[in-house]
Amino acid sequence: MSSESSKKRKPKVIRSDGAPAEGKRNRSDTEQEGKYYSEEAEVDRRDPGRDYELYKYTCQELQRLMAEIQDLKSRGGKDAAVEIEDRRIQSCVHFMILKKLNRLAHIRLKKGRDQTHEAKQKVDAYHLQLQNLLYEVMHLQKEITKCLEFKSKHEEIDLVSLEEFYKEAPPDISKAEVTMGDPHQQTLARLDWELEQRKRLAEKYRECLSNKEKILKEIEVKKEYLSSLQPRLNSIMQASLPVQEYLFMPFDQAHKQYETARHLPPPLYVLFVQTTAYGQACDKTLSVAIEGSVDEAKALFKPPEDSQDDESDSDAEEEQTTKRRRPTLGVQLDDKRKEMLKRHPLSVMLDLKCKDDSVLHLTFYYLMNLNIMTVKAKVTTATELITPISAGDLLSPDSVLSCLYPGDHGKKTPNPANQYQFDKVGILTLRDYVLDLGHPYLWVQKLGGLHFPKEQPQHTVIADHSLSASHMETTMKLLKTRVQSRLALHKQFASLEHGIVPVTSDCQYLFPAKVVSRLVKWVSIAHEDYTELHFTKDIVEAGLAGDTNLYYMALVERGTAKLQAAVVLNPGYSSIPPVFQLCLNWKGEKTNNNDDNIRAMESEVNVCYKELCGPRPSHQLLTNQLQRLCVLLDVYLETESHDDSVEGPKEFPQEKMCLRLFRGPSRMKPFKYNHPQGFFSHR
Amino acid sequence: MERAMPQAVPLGQMEVFQALQRLHMIIFSQNVSPCGKFLAAGNNYGQIAIFSLSAALSSEAKEESKKPMVTFQAHDGPVYSMVSTDRHLLSAGDGEVKAWLWAEILKKGCKELWRRQPPYRTSLEVPEINALLLVPKENSLILAGGDCQLHTMDLETGTFTRALWGHTDYIHCLALRERSPEVLSGGEDGAVRLWDLRTAKEVQTIEVYKHEECSRPHNGRWIGCLATDSDWMVCGGGPALTLWHLRSSTPTTIFPMRAPQKHVTFYQDLILSAGQGRCVNQWQLSGELKAQVPGSSPGLLSLSLNQQPAAPECKVLTAAGNSCRVDVFTNLGYRAFSLSF
Repeated sequence: MSSESSKKRKPKVIRSDGAPAEGKRNRSDTEQEGKYYSEEAEVDRRDPGRDYELYKYTCQELQRLMAEIQDLKSRGGKDAAVEIEDRRIQSCVHFMILKKLNRLAHIRLKKGRDQTHEAKQKVDAYHLQLQNLLYEVMHLQKEITKCLEFKSKHEEIDLVSLEEFYKEAPPDISKAEVTMGDPHQQTLARLDWELEQRKRLAEKYRECLSNKEKILKEIEVKKEYLSSLQPRLNSIMQASLPVQEYLFMPFDQAHKQYETARHLPPPLYVLFVQTTAYGQACDKTLSVAIEGSVDEAKALFKPPEDSQDDESDSDAEEEQTTKRRRPTLGVQLDDKRKEMLKRHPLSVMLDLKCKDDSVLHLTFYYLMNLNIMTVKAKVTTATELITPISAGDLLSPDSVLSCLYPGDHGKKTPNPANQYQFDKVGILTLRDYVLDLGHPYLWVQKLGGLHFPKEQPQHTVIADHSLSASHMETTMKLLKTRVQSRLALHKQFASLEHGIVPVTSDCQYLFPAKVVSRLVKWVSIAHEDYTELHFTKDIVEAGLAGDTNLYYMALVERGTAKLQAAVVLNPGYSSIPPVFQLCLNWKGEKTNNNDDNIRAMESEVNVCYKELCGPRPSHQLLTNQLQRLCVLLDVYLETESHDDSVEGPKEFPQEKMCLRLFRGPSRMKPFKYNHPQGFFSHR
Repeated sequence: MERAMPQAVPLGQMEVFQALQRLHMIIFSQNVSPCGKFLAAGNNYGQIAIFSLSAALSSEAKEESKKPMVTFQAHDGPVYSMVSTDRHLLSAGDGEVKAWLWAEILKKGCKELWRRQPPYRTSLEVPEINALLLVPKENSLILAGGDCQLHTMDLETGTFTRALWGHTDYIHCLALRERSPEVLSGGEDGAVRLWDLRTAKEVQTIEVYKHEECSRPHNGRWIGCLATDSDWMVCGGGPALTLWHLRSSTPTTIFPMRAPQKHVTFYQDLILSAGQGRCVNQWQLSGELKAQVPGSSPGLLSLSLNQQPAAPECKVLTAAGNSCRVDVFTNLGYRAFSLSF
């Protein structure tokens, strides 16, 4: 009930809030309206604490009155109704007090809320202001920082330094008095100066560009002029050909050669260039030529697209053919081998002319897949040579150049990578093919600039000019010496086979005038036969009898004495001496095992060979050694002490003049011949 | 025999020449150092090589230990004979005797201490010196060789005191008879002569070839080797190897060896001899062949017994001859290894 009434009153109360305070005093007529005004004012006047006490007291009174009424009602009686009425009126009064208190409480509440609301609104307004200000502050700060960070473009320009500026700029720009003090003005002045300079340089740049255009045009013109010159020069060259031939100056020929040389593979090219250079500079007897088909060489280097087309065509063809007939595995392998051993179509021909008009013809080939060079050699002489039987191997193309350098036998490929290639196609060694392909000597590889180092196998070996040049002179000299010594041996063998030891007149002083022992036989023997002889074991063990050497047997006789001499001829004759091993058949068989003097004879011929070399180029070594052998046999036989127990005179009377017959603990015979006194003595 | 594998190395001119030199080398003489640890060997090219026996005999010997420690050119001609005093090595060959200090000999570029040439009669050819003998009591050296005389040289002053004549052909070998100081010499003329050093005269002559039991005319009459044990003497060469009783000048035992012997020596109760043929022969005094131990050279020219008291571990027999190798026998029964030039 009270709440309903307060609800009714509330709108009224609120409405009355809007009324101004003067209205309160004006409307003091109606009690209700005066009460409204006075109630609001009353609220301010009354103390809430006392109101609360009043409320509690009123509630107590009400409870008391109710309790009394109850009492009275329960007792009954007539007075009770009046008392009850009385109490009822009192409780109504109390109720009204309560209502008033309730109203006051509501009013107080409303006032409190209004005040709070106001205050809150104020606070909100301030808050809003604060936010606005803060926002502005932030904005301004951002602007400030932006301003501070602003970099003017002028700072990016690289200006000249201050000193330079003051030095170079004209005074009307630099305005020293003004700018020195004021940095702003200084910067402005500097920028001015920068601008001026740039304008000037831009001018210059444009001028230079135009110059360049002009010069380029001039160059074009001159080029055209030169290219028009070329055909004219060609015609002049053609016209001069007959003159060249007349004067023996084959420039044109050389030119053609150089043209062909361009198609040579790199090692052959290096060889060609180096040998031509060497020939022109040092050795006029050397002549170089290129042989073979240039077209084939050009055909090797077809452009890729063409070859692909070809491949596809050939693939198609191949398919057809394989359907018809499959080649056997052997034939396939054979083809692969041929492919691997294929030679480049061009080859270089070198002709070395020696003093006696004999010529060594060398043809150099290049095996493309194996990356090695080979050489074929041929010796031709001015006059026709009749080959003695024992000299068969001396000048044969197979062995004439063997071991030009020690150990260089030319039967194995020098490129270690080739072994793997060989394994794929079943080639065991190159030795089987050297007759056909030529010998891959190491010096040939060096002349072509190819170097195969053993320790670091390389994948691609390129041809090196310096390697070729460093070996050229030595190799050429060795080649010439080799040919000449072989030819000399050739002639000597012809004489030896007839039993005559050809001693030249300038070597006669090495021997006494009368030599009785004679050479009766001179034959060549095979390597295996040499190693089987019983008196050659020492040489074989010392490693001096390899299969690259040539072996011969000589027989020297005097009376009943027969001396066999087995000779090892090293391909490096005559810088490496021939080695003799002797076996004497006279009163028993004597070799170096059982006779000290036979050892001494061998020593005289083998170890003391330097005396027998004769004048350079010492081609006389072998014949001098043979002659000395005959002399030694003479001395041996003549100085043999006479056996007292045997009857009869000595078979060989002593004709040689000797100071002493024996010397030393091993009782050596006097084998050393002294010229010109002509007597024999000991070493 | 040692068989070296043929080398696969390509041989240039220098290697071929060296190989040929080694093949034709003859080692004529050997001598042991006073300390017993080194062996000197002289060859026909005039070189002397010093080998270290202690290194070669030690348990960690390698191939290099069998090579000489140093080799130097001592003479122009072959080195036929060497002896050692307690400080010097004396070598002789082509007419001169040179002395080297053992203490300095291992250093490079060793030079000879002194060299002497006995007064020779002939000047056309310088005679060789085949044998050297030390006479410790007199501190002198006896040289004998190509000029058929024995020369005595005083080691302190270097002067040649005596020249003993008598041989008609050159002298091969010498031996010293200690008790009465007498020197025995054997020569190409087939005679063994005894000389008294004090009186400088020939005391006794034994012409071996005249005795039928030992002479072998097809070999010649020359006496190549001599050894003496005061009353006894063994000699060989052209005639057979024979043991002689000196006082009576009679041959007591003939050793049945066909090949001429070039070196003979007494050792304990055996006689060791070597000569043409590979083996070192060991004989009993009765004439029986006890053992024949093959060496590595086709013929032997010298034997050397290292009996120096300072190095008992190096007590070996070394044999050298017609090769560049010196065989070392640690035990007389077999060849242990070979040193080589």
